[in-house]
Amino acid sequence: MIWKTLKVGFHRLGSPPTFYRISALISPWLWAGFALCTAIGLYYALYVVPPDYQQSDSYRILFIHVPSAWQAMAGYLVMAILAAIALVWRIRTTEIMAMMCAPIGAAFTVICLLTGSLWGRPMWGTWWAWDARLTSMLVLLFIYLGIMGLYAAFEDRRKGARVACILVLVGVVNIPIIHFSVEWWTTLHQGSTIRFFGESTMHPSMMPPLVWMTVAVKLMFGAVLLDRSRNELLEQDRRKGWVRQAFGGDA
Amino acid sequence: MNLRALAALLMRDLRLAVRHGGESLMPLFFLFAVLILVPLGVGPGPNLLAAIAPGMIWVAALLASLLALENLFRPDHEDGSLEQWWLGHLPVTGLVMTRLFSHWLITGLPVILFAPLAAQMLYLPNQALGVLVLSLLIGTPILSLVGGLAAALTLGTNRGSVLLSILVFPLVVPVLIFATGAVSAVADGFSPRAHLGLLAALLVLALTLVPLAVTAALRLNIE
Amino acid sequence: MIPDFEYGFYVWTSYAVFALVIGWQIIQPLARRRRILAELREELALETGEYDDPDS
Repeated sequence: MIWKTLKVGFHRLGSPPTFYRISALISPWLWAGFALCTAIGLYYALYVVPPDYQQSDSYRILFIHVPSAWQAMAGYLVMAILAAIALVWRIRTTEIMAMMCAPIGAAFTVICLLTGSLWGRPMWGTWWAWDARLTSMLVLLFIYLGIMGLYAAFEDRRKGARVACILVLVGVVNIPIIHFSVEWWTTLHQGSTIRFFGESTMHPSMMPPLVWMTVAVKLMFGAVLLDRSRNELLEQDRRKGWVRQAFGGDA
Repeated sequence: MNLRALAALLMRDLRLAVRHGGESLMPLFFLFAVLILVPLGVGPGPNLLAAIAPGMIWVAALLASLLALENLFRPDHEDGSLEQWWLGHLPVTGLVMTRLFSHWLITGLPVILFAPLAAQMLYLPNQALGVLVLSLLIGTPILSLVGGLAAALTLGTNRGSVLLSILVFPLVVPVLIFATGAVSAVADGFSPRAHLGLLAALLVLALTLVPLAVTAALRLNIE
Repeated sequence: MIPDFEYGFYVWTSYAVFALVIGWQIIQPLARRRRILAELREELALETGEYDDPDS
Protein backbone atom coordinates (compact mmCIF):
# COMPACT_ATOMS: atom_id res chain seq x y z
CA MET A 1 0.00 0.00 0.00
CA ILE A 2 2.67 2.49 1.05
CA TRP A 3 4.94 1.09 -1.63
CA LYS A 4 2.31 1.72 -4.26
CA THR A 5 1.74 5.30 -3.12
CA LEU A 6 5.48 5.90 -3.26
CA LYS A 7 5.68 4.41 -6.73
CA VAL A 8 2.84 6.50 -8.06
CA GLY A 9 4.29 9.61 -6.46
CA PHE A 10 7.68 8.85 -7.97
CA HIS A 11 6.27 8.50 -11.45
CA ARG A 12 4.16 11.62 -11.03
CA LEU A 13 7.28 13.51 -10.02
CA GLY A 14 8.84 12.25 -13.22
CA SER A 15 6.20 13.88 -15.38
CA PRO A 16 7.70 17.03 -16.90
CA PRO A 17 5.05 19.58 -15.80
CA THR A 18 5.14 18.34 -12.20
CA PHE A 19 8.91 18.28 -12.13
CA TYR A 20 8.99 21.74 -13.63
CA ARG A 21 6.70 23.12 -10.92
CA ILE A 22 8.26 21.37 -7.96
CA SER A 23 11.85 22.11 -8.94
CA ALA A 24 10.93 25.79 -9.20
CA LEU A 25 9.78 25.60 -5.56
CA ILE A 26 12.85 23.76 -4.26
CA SER A 27 15.66 25.46 -6.16
CA PRO A 28 15.49 28.91 -4.42
CA TRP A 29 15.74 27.23 -1.01
CA LEU A 30 18.81 25.29 -2.13
CA TRP A 31 20.37 28.52 -3.39
CA ALA A 32 19.59 30.26 -0.10
CA GLY A 33 21.14 27.39 1.85
CA PHE A 34 24.19 27.51 -0.41
CA ALA A 35 24.63 31.26 0.17
CA LEU A 36 24.30 30.85 3.93
CA CYS A 37 26.66 27.88 4.23
CA THR A 38 29.23 29.49 1.94
CA ALA A 39 29.17 32.71 3.97
CA ILE A 40 29.73 30.82 7.23
CA GLY A 41 32.28 28.48 5.65
CA LEU A 42 34.30 31.27 4.10
CA TYR A 43 34.23 33.26 7.32
CA TYR A 44 35.69 30.29 9.18
CA ALA A 45 38.14 29.41 6.40
CA LEU A 46 39.55 32.90 5.93
CA TYR A 47 39.21 34.58 9.33
CA VAL A 48 38.70 32.12 12.18
CA VAL A 49 41.08 29.22 11.65
CA PRO A 50 44.71 30.01 12.53
CA PRO A 51 47.57 29.38 10.06
CA ASP A 52 48.89 25.81 10.05
CA TYR A 53 52.27 25.39 11.71
CA GLN A 54 53.65 23.51 8.69
CA GLN A 55 51.74 24.81 5.71
CA SER A 56 51.05 28.33 6.99
CA ASP A 57 48.09 29.84 5.13
CA SER A 58 48.30 27.72 1.98
CA TYR A 59 46.21 24.99 3.62
CA ARG A 60 43.21 27.33 3.41
CA ILE A 61 43.02 26.25 -0.25
CA LEU A 62 42.00 22.81 0.99
CA PHE A 63 38.68 24.20 2.29
CA ILE A 64 37.53 24.61 -1.31
CA HIS A 65 39.71 21.92 -2.83
CA VAL A 66 38.52 19.01 -0.70
CA PRO A 67 34.75 19.74 -0.90
CA SER A 68 35.10 20.16 -4.68
CA ALA A 69 36.93 16.85 -4.99
CA TRP A 70 34.27 15.10 -2.90
CA GLN A 71 31.52 16.68 -4.94
CA ALA A 72 33.21 15.74 -8.24
CA MET A 73 33.02 12.10 -7.12
CA ALA A 74 29.63 12.31 -5.39
CA GLY A 75 28.29 14.00 -8.51
CA TYR A 76 29.26 10.97 -10.54
CA LEU A 77 27.48 8.73 -8.06
CA VAL A 78 24.31 10.83 -8.33
CA MET A 79 24.59 10.74 -12.11
CA ALA A 80 25.03 6.96 -12.10
CA ILE A 81 21.99 6.39 -9.88
CA LEU A 82 19.88 8.66 -12.09
CA ALA A 83 21.21 6.93 -15.21
CA ALA A 84 20.35 3.49 -13.81
CA ILE A 85 16.81 4.65 -12.97
CA ALA A 86 16.53 6.22 -16.41
CA LEU A 87 17.59 3.06 -18.23
CA VAL A 88 15.45 0.69 -16.17
CA TRP A 89 12.21 2.68 -15.90
CA ARG A 90 12.70 4.85 -19.00
CA ILE A 91 11.74 8.06 -17.21
CA ARG A 92 12.67 11.00 -19.38
CA THR A 93 13.09 13.47 -16.52
CA THR A 94 15.73 11.30 -14.88
CA GLU A 95 17.52 10.89 -18.22
CA ILE A 96 17.76 14.66 -18.48
CA MET A 97 18.81 15.03 -14.85
CA ALA A 98 21.55 12.42 -15.29
CA MET A 99 22.88 14.28 -18.30
CA MET A 100 22.80 17.62 -16.51
CA CYS A 101 24.97 16.19 -13.71
CA ALA A 102 27.91 15.89 -16.11
CA PRO A 103 28.72 19.59 -16.69
CA ILE A 104 28.39 20.36 -12.97
CA GLY A 105 30.58 17.42 -12.01
CA ALA A 106 33.11 18.49 -14.64
CA ALA A 107 33.09 22.02 -13.17
CA PHE A 108 33.94 20.67 -9.72
CA THR A 109 36.65 18.44 -11.20
CA VAL A 110 38.17 21.52 -12.83
CA ILE A 111 38.06 23.42 -9.51
CA CYS A 112 39.67 20.46 -7.79
CA LEU A 113 42.47 20.18 -10.37
CA LEU A 114 43.23 23.91 -10.53
CA THR A 115 43.18 24.46 -6.77
CA GLY A 116 45.21 21.29 -6.29
CA SER A 117 47.77 22.68 -8.68
CA LEU A 118 47.76 26.05 -6.88
CA TRP A 119 48.27 24.26 -3.57
CA GLY A 120 51.00 22.03 -4.98
CA ARG A 121 53.08 24.91 -6.30
CA PRO A 122 54.08 26.36 -2.89
CA MET A 123 53.91 23.01 -1.04
CA TRP A 124 55.48 20.53 -3.47
CA GLY A 125 57.32 23.13 -5.54
CA THR A 126 55.62 22.02 -8.76
CA TRP A 127 52.34 22.78 -10.51
CA TRP A 128 51.67 19.17 -11.35
CA ALA A 129 52.68 15.88 -9.78
CA TRP A 130 51.73 12.45 -11.07
CA ASP A 131 50.11 11.82 -7.75
CA ALA A 132 47.47 9.09 -7.73
CA ARG A 133 44.61 11.37 -6.78
CA LEU A 134 45.51 14.12 -9.21
CA THR A 135 45.89 11.65 -12.05
CA SER A 136 42.61 9.86 -11.42
CA MET A 137 40.88 13.25 -11.12
CA LEU A 138 42.24 14.16 -14.54
CA VAL A 139 40.91 10.90 -15.97
CA LEU A 140 37.56 11.58 -14.27
CA LEU A 141 37.45 14.95 -16.03
CA PHE A 142 37.88 13.24 -19.38
CA ILE A 143 35.12 10.77 -18.54
CA TYR A 144 32.81 13.69 -17.74
CA LEU A 145 33.80 15.39 -21.00
CA GLY A 146 33.20 12.16 -22.92
CA ILE A 147 29.69 11.87 -21.48
CA MET A 148 28.92 15.51 -22.32
CA GLY A 149 30.34 15.10 -25.83
CA LEU A 150 28.40 11.91 -26.49
CA TYR A 151 25.13 13.47 -25.33
CA ALA A 152 25.71 16.56 -27.45
CA ALA A 153 26.69 14.58 -30.56
CA PHE A 154 23.22 13.15 -31.10
CA GLU A 155 20.59 14.93 -33.13
CA ASP A 156 17.88 13.12 -31.19
CA ARG A 157 18.33 14.36 -27.59
CA ARG A 158 16.44 11.44 -26.10
CA LYS A 159 18.54 8.85 -27.89
CA GLY A 160 21.70 10.75 -26.95
CA ALA A 161 20.68 10.74 -23.29
CA ARG A 162 19.99 7.02 -23.25
CA VAL A 163 23.23 6.11 -25.00
CA ALA A 164 25.20 8.42 -22.71
CA CYS A 165 23.50 6.78 -19.70
CA ILE A 166 25.06 3.47 -20.77
CA LEU A 167 28.45 5.19 -20.82
CA VAL A 168 27.76 6.54 -17.32
CA LEU A 169 27.18 3.00 -16.06
CA VAL A 170 30.30 1.73 -17.83
CA GLY A 171 32.16 4.48 -16.00
CA VAL A 172 30.82 3.26 -12.65
CA VAL A 173 32.52 -0.09 -13.21
CA ASN A 174 35.64 1.54 -14.54
CA ILE A 175 36.32 4.46 -12.19
CA PRO A 176 37.24 2.31 -9.17
CA ILE A 177 39.51 0.22 -11.40
CA ILE A 178 41.15 3.35 -12.81
CA HIS A 179 41.63 4.77 -9.34
CA PHE A 180 43.12 1.54 -8.02
CA SER A 181 45.41 1.07 -11.02
CA VAL A 182 46.69 4.63 -10.87
CA GLU A 183 47.37 4.26 -7.15
CA TRP A 184 49.30 1.05 -7.84
CA TRP A 185 51.17 2.79 -10.65
CA THR A 186 52.29 5.80 -8.59
CA THR A 187 53.42 3.69 -5.66
CA LEU A 188 55.53 1.62 -8.05
CA HIS A 189 57.01 4.60 -9.82
CA GLN A 190 57.55 7.05 -7.00
CA GLY A 191 57.84 5.12 -3.80
CA SER A 192 55.80 6.81 -1.11
CA THR A 193 54.28 9.92 -2.60
CA ILE A 194 53.48 13.11 -0.80
CA ARG A 195 50.11 12.84 0.83
CA PHE A 196 47.55 15.59 1.02
CA PHE A 197 47.13 15.47 4.74
CA GLY A 198 50.52 13.99 5.49
CA GLU A 199 50.95 12.05 8.71
CA SER A 200 49.72 14.95 10.78
CA THR A 201 46.13 14.37 11.76
CA MET A 202 43.68 17.09 11.04
CA HIS A 203 43.39 19.69 13.76
CA PRO A 204 39.81 19.90 15.12
CA SER A 205 39.68 23.62 14.32
CA MET A 206 39.82 22.71 10.62
CA MET A 207 36.54 20.83 10.79
CA PRO A 208 33.92 23.65 10.82
CA PRO A 209 34.97 25.38 7.57
CA LEU A 210 35.39 22.01 5.85
CA VAL A 211 31.93 20.83 6.89
CA TRP A 212 30.21 24.11 6.01
CA MET A 213 31.85 24.29 2.60
CA THR A 214 31.05 20.65 1.89
CA VAL A 215 27.38 21.20 2.68
CA ALA A 216 27.38 24.43 0.64
CA VAL A 217 28.84 22.71 -2.38
CA LYS A 218 26.30 19.86 -2.15
CA LEU A 219 23.38 22.30 -1.97
CA MET A 220 24.77 24.18 -4.92
CA PHE A 221 25.08 20.98 -6.95
CA GLY A 222 21.41 20.24 -6.29
CA ALA A 223 20.31 23.77 -7.14
CA VAL A 224 22.24 23.93 -10.42
CA LEU A 225 21.08 20.43 -11.30
CA LEU A 226 17.43 21.43 -10.89
CA ASP A 227 17.90 24.70 -12.80
CA ARG A 228 19.72 23.06 -15.67
CA SER A 229 17.21 20.20 -15.90
CA ARG A 230 14.35 22.69 -15.97
CA ASN A 231 15.98 24.50 -18.88
CA GLU A 232 16.63 21.30 -20.78
CA LEU A 233 13.03 20.14 -20.28
CA LEU A 234 11.69 23.49 -21.37
CA GLU A 235 13.80 23.55 -24.50
CA GLN A 236 12.96 19.98 -25.49
CA ASP A 237 9.24 20.35 -24.79
CA ARG A 238 8.84 23.80 -26.26
CA ARG A 239 6.24 22.57 -28.74
CA LYS A 240 4.33 20.48 -26.22
CA GLY A 241 1.03 21.32 -24.62
CA TRP A 242 2.17 21.83 -21.05
CA VAL A 243 4.75 24.43 -22.02
CA ARG A 244 2.27 26.23 -24.25
CA GLN A 245 -0.25 26.22 -21.42
CA ALA A 246 2.23 27.40 -18.82
CA PHE A 247 3.59 30.24 -20.91
CA GLY A 248 0.66 30.92 -23.21
CA GLY A 249 -0.72 33.41 -20.73
CA ASP A 250 2.14 35.82 -20.47
CA ALA A 251 3.20 35.66 -24.11
CA MET B 1 24.39 -21.36 -31.12
CA ASN B 2 24.92 -21.74 -34.82
CA LEU B 3 28.67 -21.67 -35.08
CA ARG B 4 28.71 -21.99 -38.84
CA ALA B 5 26.83 -18.72 -39.30
CA LEU B 6 29.19 -16.93 -36.92
CA ALA B 7 32.15 -18.38 -38.80
CA ALA B 8 30.63 -17.06 -42.03
CA LEU B 9 30.42 -13.55 -40.55
CA LEU B 10 34.01 -13.83 -39.39
CA MET B 11 35.21 -15.01 -42.80
CA ARG B 12 33.32 -12.18 -44.49
CA ASP B 13 34.92 -9.57 -42.24
CA LEU B 14 38.39 -11.00 -42.80
CA ARG B 15 37.87 -11.28 -46.56
CA LEU B 16 36.79 -7.65 -46.67
CA ALA B 17 39.89 -6.66 -44.70
CA VAL B 18 42.16 -8.57 -47.05
CA ARG B 19 40.55 -7.09 -50.15
CA HIS B 20 40.91 -3.60 -48.74
CA GLY B 21 44.61 -4.43 -48.68
CA GLY B 22 46.42 -1.27 -47.67
CA GLU B 23 43.82 -0.25 -45.18
CA SER B 24 44.18 -3.39 -43.12
CA LEU B 25 47.95 -2.98 -43.02
CA MET B 26 47.51 0.42 -41.35
CA PRO B 27 47.98 -0.89 -37.78
CA LEU B 28 51.40 -2.22 -38.73
CA PHE B 29 52.40 0.98 -40.49
CA PHE B 30 51.31 2.77 -37.39
CA LEU B 31 53.41 0.60 -35.10
CA PHE B 32 56.49 1.18 -37.21
CA ALA B 33 55.83 4.89 -37.64
CA VAL B 34 55.84 5.25 -33.85
CA LEU B 35 58.85 2.97 -33.64
CA ILE B 36 60.88 5.10 -36.05
CA LEU B 37 59.68 8.54 -35.05
CA VAL B 38 60.13 8.26 -31.28
CA PRO B 39 63.86 7.35 -31.37
CA LEU B 40 64.32 10.20 -33.85
CA GLY B 41 62.61 12.46 -31.37
CA VAL B 42 64.22 11.37 -28.09
CA GLY B 43 67.62 10.26 -29.38
CA PRO B 44 69.15 6.80 -29.99
CA GLY B 45 70.41 6.16 -26.44
CA PRO B 46 69.85 2.43 -25.69
CA ASN B 47 69.10 2.96 -21.99
CA LEU B 48 66.40 5.53 -22.59
CA LEU B 49 64.85 3.53 -25.44
CA ALA B 50 64.84 0.32 -23.41
CA ALA B 51 63.14 2.15 -20.55
CA ILE B 52 60.34 3.54 -22.70
CA ALA B 53 60.02 0.53 -25.04
CA PRO B 54 57.07 -1.21 -23.29
CA GLY B 55 55.12 2.02 -23.06
CA MET B 56 55.79 2.89 -26.69
CA ILE B 57 54.83 -0.50 -28.08
CA TRP B 58 51.69 -0.43 -25.95
CA VAL B 59 50.69 3.07 -26.98
CA ALA B 60 51.27 2.05 -30.61
CA ALA B 61 49.03 -0.98 -30.10
CA LEU B 62 46.38 1.23 -28.54
CA LEU B 63 46.44 3.76 -31.37
CA ALA B 64 46.45 0.97 -33.94
CA SER B 65 43.28 -0.47 -32.40
CA LEU B 66 41.61 2.96 -32.66
CA LEU B 67 42.24 3.10 -36.41
CA ALA B 68 39.64 0.61 -37.57
CA LEU B 69 36.99 1.47 -34.99
CA GLU B 70 35.18 4.10 -36.99
CA ASN B 71 34.05 1.48 -39.50
CA LEU B 72 33.41 -1.34 -37.06
CA PHE B 73 29.60 -1.11 -37.17
CA ARG B 74 28.99 1.93 -39.37
CA PRO B 75 28.83 0.32 -42.85
CA ASP B 76 26.43 -2.33 -41.56
CA HIS B 77 24.37 0.37 -39.93
CA GLU B 78 24.20 2.44 -43.10
CA ASP B 79 23.21 -0.39 -45.44
CA GLY B 80 20.67 -1.66 -42.92
CA SER B 81 22.20 -5.08 -42.33
CA LEU B 82 22.82 -4.26 -38.67
CA GLU B 83 19.08 -4.27 -38.05
CA GLN B 84 18.94 -7.78 -39.47
CA TRP B 85 21.06 -8.91 -36.51
CA TRP B 86 17.96 -8.52 -34.35
CA LEU B 87 15.64 -10.20 -36.82
CA GLY B 88 17.63 -13.38 -37.40
CA HIS B 89 17.74 -16.44 -35.17
CA LEU B 90 21.32 -15.84 -34.03
CA PRO B 91 22.05 -14.32 -30.62
CA VAL B 92 23.13 -10.71 -31.13
CA THR B 93 25.80 -10.99 -28.44
CA GLY B 94 27.41 -13.78 -30.45
CA LEU B 95 27.46 -11.64 -33.58
CA VAL B 96 28.92 -8.73 -31.61
CA MET B 97 31.63 -10.99 -30.19
CA THR B 98 32.45 -12.30 -33.67
CA ARG B 99 32.78 -8.79 -35.04
CA LEU B 100 35.03 -7.77 -32.16
CA PHE B 101 37.12 -10.92 -32.63
CA SER B 102 37.70 -10.04 -36.29
CA HIS B 103 38.67 -6.51 -35.23
CA TRP B 104 41.23 -8.02 -32.88
CA LEU B 105 42.55 -10.34 -35.63
CA ILE B 106 43.02 -7.34 -37.92
CA THR B 107 44.45 -4.76 -35.49
CA GLY B 108 45.71 -6.63 -32.44
CA LEU B 109 47.32 -9.76 -33.87
CA PRO B 110 49.68 -8.04 -36.37
CA VAL B 111 51.03 -5.86 -33.57
CA ILE B 112 51.62 -8.93 -31.40
CA LEU B 113 53.39 -10.76 -34.23
CA PHE B 114 55.72 -7.86 -34.90
CA ALA B 115 56.24 -6.92 -31.24
CA PRO B 116 59.44 -9.05 -30.93
CA LEU B 117 60.97 -7.17 -33.85
CA ALA B 118 59.90 -3.84 -32.37
CA ALA B 119 61.34 -4.87 -29.01
CA GLN B 120 64.71 -5.66 -30.62
CA MET B 121 64.77 -2.28 -32.34
CA LEU B 122 64.16 -0.56 -29.00
CA TYR B 123 66.76 -2.62 -27.06
CA LEU B 124 64.18 -4.16 -24.74
CA PRO B 125 66.01 -6.70 -22.53
CA ASN B 126 65.54 -10.23 -23.86
CA GLN B 127 64.10 -11.63 -20.64
CA ALA B 128 61.24 -9.13 -20.89
CA LEU B 129 60.27 -10.15 -24.42
CA GLY B 130 58.10 -13.10 -23.44
CA VAL B 131 56.15 -11.04 -20.94
CA LEU B 132 55.69 -8.25 -23.47
CA VAL B 133 54.11 -10.67 -25.93
CA LEU B 134 52.06 -12.25 -23.14
CA SER B 135 50.81 -8.85 -21.96
CA LEU B 136 49.86 -7.99 -25.54
CA LEU B 137 48.05 -11.32 -25.90
CA ILE B 138 45.99 -10.67 -22.76
CA GLY B 139 45.66 -6.94 -23.21
CA THR B 140 44.89 -6.27 -26.87
CA PRO B 141 41.56 -8.13 -26.74
CA ILE B 142 40.53 -5.66 -24.00
CA LEU B 143 41.45 -2.82 -26.35
CA SER B 144 39.21 -4.31 -29.05
CA LEU B 145 36.36 -4.82 -26.57
CA VAL B 146 36.53 -1.31 -25.12
CA GLY B 147 36.99 0.17 -28.58
CA GLY B 148 33.99 -1.77 -29.84
CA LEU B 149 31.94 -0.35 -26.99
CA ALA B 150 32.96 3.20 -27.94
CA ALA B 151 32.17 2.48 -31.60
CA ALA B 152 28.73 1.18 -30.66
CA LEU B 153 28.00 4.19 -28.44
CA THR B 154 28.96 6.72 -31.13
CA LEU B 155 27.22 4.86 -33.95
CA GLY B 156 24.27 7.25 -34.16
CA THR B 157 26.40 10.39 -34.26
CA ASN B 158 27.85 11.90 -37.39
CA ARG B 159 31.21 12.95 -35.95
CA GLY B 160 32.27 9.76 -34.27
CA SER B 161 36.02 9.74 -34.72
CA VAL B 162 37.01 12.53 -32.31
CA LEU B 163 34.53 11.32 -29.75
CA LEU B 164 35.81 7.75 -30.11
CA SER B 165 39.29 8.58 -28.87
CA ILE B 166 37.94 10.67 -25.97
CA LEU B 167 35.73 7.77 -24.89
CA VAL B 168 38.37 5.05 -25.27
CA PHE B 169 41.30 6.76 -23.59
CA PRO B 170 40.02 6.94 -19.97
CA LEU B 171 38.71 3.38 -20.15
CA VAL B 172 42.01 1.82 -21.20
CA VAL B 173 44.16 3.56 -18.58
CA PRO B 174 44.22 0.47 -16.30
CA VAL B 175 45.14 -1.82 -19.21
CA LEU B 176 48.10 0.34 -20.12
CA ILE B 177 49.26 0.56 -16.50
CA PHE B 178 49.13 -3.17 -15.76
CA ALA B 179 50.56 -4.25 -19.11
CA THR B 180 53.54 -1.91 -19.14
CA GLY B 181 53.94 -2.52 -15.42
CA ALA B 182 54.35 -6.24 -16.09
CA VAL B 183 57.04 -5.67 -18.70
CA SER B 184 58.90 -3.12 -16.57
CA ALA B 185 58.75 -5.47 -13.58
CA VAL B 186 60.51 -8.24 -15.50
CA ALA B 187 63.03 -5.83 -16.96
CA ASP B 188 63.85 -4.77 -13.38
CA GLY B 189 64.11 -8.37 -12.27
CA PHE B 190 60.77 -8.74 -10.44
CA SER B 191 57.94 -11.19 -11.02
CA PRO B 192 55.27 -9.94 -13.43
CA ARG B 193 52.63 -12.31 -12.06
CA ALA B 194 50.64 -9.75 -10.09
CA HIS B 195 50.37 -7.39 -13.06
CA LEU B 196 49.52 -10.14 -15.52
CA GLY B 197 46.95 -11.57 -13.12
CA LEU B 198 45.23 -8.21 -12.79
CA LEU B 199 45.36 -7.77 -16.57
CA ALA B 200 43.73 -11.17 -17.00
CA ALA B 201 41.07 -10.17 -14.45
CA LEU B 202 40.36 -7.07 -16.53
CA LEU B 203 40.03 -9.26 -19.63
CA VAL B 204 37.52 -11.52 -17.89
CA LEU B 205 35.55 -8.51 -16.67
CA ALA B 206 35.55 -6.94 -20.13
CA LEU B 207 34.59 -10.23 -21.79
CA THR B 208 31.56 -10.61 -19.53
CA LEU B 209 30.28 -7.03 -19.40
CA VAL B 210 31.27 -5.36 -22.67
CA PRO B 211 29.20 -7.54 -25.04
CA LEU B 212 26.09 -6.73 -22.99
CA ALA B 213 26.82 -3.00 -23.11
CA VAL B 214 27.65 -3.11 -26.83
CA THR B 215 24.40 -4.92 -27.61
CA ALA B 216 22.39 -2.42 -25.56
CA ALA B 217 24.15 0.55 -27.19
CA LEU B 218 23.69 -0.82 -30.73
CA ARG B 219 20.06 -1.48 -30.02
CA LEU B 220 19.46 2.06 -28.81
CA ASN B 221 21.26 3.44 -31.83
CA ILE B 222 19.21 1.60 -34.42
CA GLU B 223 15.86 2.22 -32.70
CA MET C 1 39.47 43.66 6.21
CA ILE C 2 41.15 41.42 3.67
CA PRO C 3 43.49 39.15 5.62
CA ASP C 4 47.14 39.20 4.62
CA PHE C 5 48.18 35.58 4.05
CA GLU C 6 51.48 33.95 3.54
CA TYR C 7 51.32 32.37 0.07
CA GLY C 8 48.49 34.88 -0.44
CA PHE C 9 48.76 34.73 -4.22
CA TYR C 10 48.02 31.01 -4.32
CA VAL C 11 45.24 31.19 -1.73
CA TRP C 12 43.44 34.09 -3.40
CA THR C 13 43.87 32.69 -6.90
CA SER C 14 42.32 29.42 -5.70
CA TYR C 15 39.35 31.22 -4.19
CA ALA C 16 39.03 33.27 -7.38
CA VAL C 17 38.98 30.08 -9.46
CA PHE C 18 36.30 28.70 -7.17
CA ALA C 19 34.25 31.91 -7.44
CA LEU C 20 34.62 32.05 -11.22
CA VAL C 21 33.57 28.45 -11.85
CA ILE C 22 30.68 28.62 -9.37
CA GLY C 23 29.63 31.96 -10.85
CA TRP C 24 29.60 30.44 -14.31
CA GLN C 25 27.46 27.57 -13.00
CA ILE C 26 24.99 30.14 -11.65
CA ILE C 27 24.94 32.44 -14.67
CA GLN C 28 24.83 29.83 -17.44
CA PRO C 29 21.39 28.38 -16.52
CA LEU C 30 19.97 31.87 -15.97
CA ALA C 31 21.17 33.09 -19.37
CA ARG C 32 19.91 29.96 -21.07
CA ARG C 33 16.53 30.26 -19.40
CA ARG C 34 16.22 33.87 -20.59
CA ARG C 35 17.06 32.84 -24.15
CA ILE C 36 14.61 29.94 -24.18
CA LEU C 37 11.78 32.06 -22.76
CA ALA C 38 12.45 34.81 -25.31
CA GLU C 39 12.34 32.29 -28.15
CA LEU C 40 9.21 30.72 -26.73
CA ARG C 41 7.47 34.08 -26.48
CA GLU C 42 8.40 34.88 -30.05
CA GLU C 43 7.10 31.54 -31.32
CA LEU C 44 3.83 31.95 -29.44
CA ALA C 45 3.41 35.49 -30.71
CA LEU C 46 4.03 34.33 -34.26
CA GLU C 47 1.37 31.67 -33.91
CA THR C 48 -1.29 33.97 -32.45
CA GLY C 49 -0.53 36.70 -34.96
CA GLU C 50 0.48 39.16 -32.29
CA TYR C 51 4.07 39.24 -33.44
CA ASP C 52 5.43 42.75 -33.42
CA ASP C 53 8.01 42.78 -36.18
CA PRO C 54 10.93 44.94 -34.99
CA ASP C 55 11.94 45.62 -38.61
CA SER C 56 8.66 47.08 -39.77
